[in-house]
Amino acid sequence: MPVITPWNAGGGQGVSRAVVTTAQQARYRIADREQRQPGFPSLGQASGWRVLSTINADLGMGVVGVMSADSAEPTQWGEPPSSPEGTVVPGVPQAAAQASPSPEADRGVEERDVEERDIEETPQQRTARFERDAMPMLDQLYAAALRMTRNPADAEDLVQETYLKAYGAFGSFRAGTNLRAWLYRILTNTYINGYRKRQRQPLAQPSEEITDWQLAQAAQHTSSGLRSAEMDALDQLPDSDVKDALSQLAEDFRMAVYLADVEGFAYKEIAEIMGTPIGTVMSRLHRGRKQLRDMLTGVARERGFLRDAEVAS
Amino acid sequence: MSCGDPHETDCRQVLGELWLFLDNECNRERGELLRRHLDECGPCLEEFGLEEHLKALLARKCRGDHAPDALKQRLRDSIREIMLHQAVLGAEVTVQRDDNGTIVEISTSTVESHAWLATES
Repeated sequence: MPVITPWNAGGGQGVSRAVVTTAQQARYRIADREQRQPGFPSLGQASGWRVLSTINADLGMGVVGVMSADSAEPTQWGEPPSSPEGTVVPGVPQAAAQASPSPEADRGVEERDVEERDIEETPQQRTARFERDAMPMLDQLYAAALRMTRNPADAEDLVQETYLKAYGAFGSFRAGTNLRAWLYRILTNTYINGYRKRQRQPLAQPSEEITDWQLAQAAQHTSSGLRSAEMDALDQLPDSDVKDALSQLAEDFRMAVYLADVEGFAYKEIAEIMGTPIGTVMSRLHRGRKQLRDMLTGVARERGFLRDAEVAS
Repeated sequence: MSCGDPHETDCRQVLGELWLFLDNECNRERGELLRRHLDECGPCLEEFGLEEHLKALLARKCRGDHAPDALKQRLRDSIREIMLHQAVLGAEVTVQRDDNGTIVEISTSTVESHAWLATES
């Protein structure tokens, strides 16, 4: 189905350009664990334009348009993810949207003028690069997804979607930028845009609330904080207790603490991953760590690793 | 809080910046100042030690989860599948989810640019 878009539709003398586009589309589904069938359906027959809004939003690009697999579009770090619908790509002829055969064109699909360009790498090369560079981080991303979703089933789905998106956009990933931070950003945006809405567990308490329990905890501490005896007690806690405590933090605090302390990201990277200013990251980190420290002390006491006398002294 | 001893930098100020120092987010000059303070102030050093300990504890105890092998294999298979489509058709790929799973769409498009001289009649 060709679409012809004259650039100088108004006439006049001069050089005009046209972009002739034909589109073909296939679609298949990778089912979740319980519904998964072996093998994939073959290439489908549907045709028409597809808005890549989902992938663009989760990559934090905020640009609507057709994103080719070998696109040189750089990732726009620092720009908060926003609804890309209705975003107009500057310098793109409006006629493209009107002439587009898809009903989605009415929502502002723009066809970017894709110049013939040298193809930098073949799909095989890109796949090899992805498997070499991105796949080894799967365990890390899965662990982070577990901390976000707080259950293995959701974590698996989240990581699957993240990796397929990352692979689909890998052509736009520039060598030399931070791949790990890029993957985490896709993970975080995918989580925020989709998973949080259908969490299998209720959200943690709102960030701003401090429970009576936490107030009681705070009152027991001197201003100098934990004593060494308490830290020794925390060392004895099983991993699961520490993970549980982390999972009880409000989501924003939890992610900031996880990214800083477990993943070792710099504040600037966390700000980019979470799409927030650095000041917000610092505040979340500060408060998250404080809550976590209080919570862990409570757990250590419950477990009998710490006697009240040691806390009060 | 202050330990009472005279310091180049006040303890209160140092304690407020310990996390920055711990996270390696201070500039060099500030870092040096804090380091000097910690060298000469026991209470602040102790507090720093506790923060450092907690950070290390989190890193140690909250990692180590491994993605299931089935997930890894499934991803490799999917990626190979998509690659084959791309290799043959030069396709674009989009990924989204609905309630039943992850949907991968592969669109191919062929774009030709033409330029010509238009003359108004």
